[in-house]
Amino acid sequence: MARIIGGIGTSHVPTIGMAYDRKKGADPDWAPLFEGYAPAARWLAEKKPDVLVFFFNDHATTFFFDHYPTFAIGVWDEYPIADEGMGPRPVPALRGHAPLSRHMATALVNDEFDMSVFQDLPLDHGLNSPLTMLYPEAVPAGGWPVSVVPIEVNVLQHPMPTPLRCWKLGQAVRRAVASWPEDLSVVVVGTGGLSHQMNGERAGFNNEAWDREFLELIHTDPMALTRMRLADFARLGGSEGAEVIMWLAMRGALSPDVKKVHQSYYLPMTTAMAVAVFEETP
Amino acid sequence: MTAFSSNPQLAGAERLEGTFIFDLERSARGLRLNRFLHGLVIPERRALFKSDPQAAFDQARLTPEEQRMVLELDWRALIHYGASFFTMEKLGRVSGVSNPAMVAAMRGETLESFLATRRVPGAR
Repeated sequence: MARIIGGIGTSHVPTIGMAYDRKKGADPDWAPLFEGYAPAARWLAEKKPDVLVFFFNDHATTFFFDHYPTFAIGVWDEYPIADEGMGPRPVPALRGHAPLSRHMATALVNDEFDMSVFQDLPLDHGLNSPLTMLYPEAVPAGGWPVSVVPIEVNVLQHPMPTPLRCWKLGQAVRRAVASWPEDLSVVVVGTGGLSHQMNGERAGFNNEAWDREFLELIHTDPMALTRMRLADFARLGGSEGAEVIMWLAMRGALSPDVKKVHQSYYLPMTTAMAVAVFEETP
Repeated sequence: MTAFSSNPQLAGAERLEGTFIFDLERSARGLRLNRFLHGLVIPERRALFKSDPQAAFDQARLTPEEQRMVLELDWRALIHYGASFFTMEKLGRVSGVSNPAMVAAMRGETLESFLATRRVPGAR
């Protein structure tokens, strides 16, 4: 059967992708970011998962507010890189896993998670900016050593799903993966955050103390995070920082006693960039 | 009663100063403008906007005020009006304006003074 071997929480700031594309690894302004991701990339290179299930959000790129899905799962075998206004990033199209994702869509709906389902849509920086940091060799190699199952979460337009609902989605994803009969090794990825605000006079807001507390709670007491309201997340981490509820979906798909094997934090500009790796006991 | 005030998840968010929670009222108010901005992900649409902005505005039926905010890249007015930051981001990319510059404008600061408050001003 398919098995979840671990999870990754990661920011998805567009400049993470930009820094990768412009090869900024040796630039002192960006080196801490690359150093922070390197252990996560090494962990993936060592564990060699077949599939990454990504809880991510679209940024009004592929989906628009005339019909914005609360939860949507991709079920295609290849996803183009989205054009966000400057042409697509020079990155190979992402590999999907159509059979597993179709099974997951079916299992989730039968488990009372009524997902929207999409096929061959392009995916934006919400997914592709962390992915190139997690697999830095994929672009020069011209292809991906891993498939993705993209699960889009609406964190742009209220009413958004509640923190508790995201947690429950993760639990349902765990059941859906476990009910796939073939042997597959799966890592769940929750994207977003950490603290940032991109609207109004409060834009540029950060809160490192809260970010540090969040990184601790997501590991040791995620239920405390599910009891918070979206307004609490917005107050503590900025209105856009509330998107960290997608980390709760990742955490909900993991065991209570999962180990945290890596964490890094870098706050250079407007958004705190964090990556954390959680490993299941084999 | 609005979608905001009836949402228990947002209780207290109205006290966050300088914050524009994008709810269904804002989304409705900004729909036409956001649709135009979102359309800039399509190469033909942004080519038209660059070569003949008035034709692009007419096609999208933008009001004179919406046209002004877009033409002048008035980020603060756009966010107050009901634009989503994430559709504004498309206009930023098409116009060669970075996110820190957009943030500075929304705060009512120059880019230089905003960067002076950041830990790594070169990381952009």
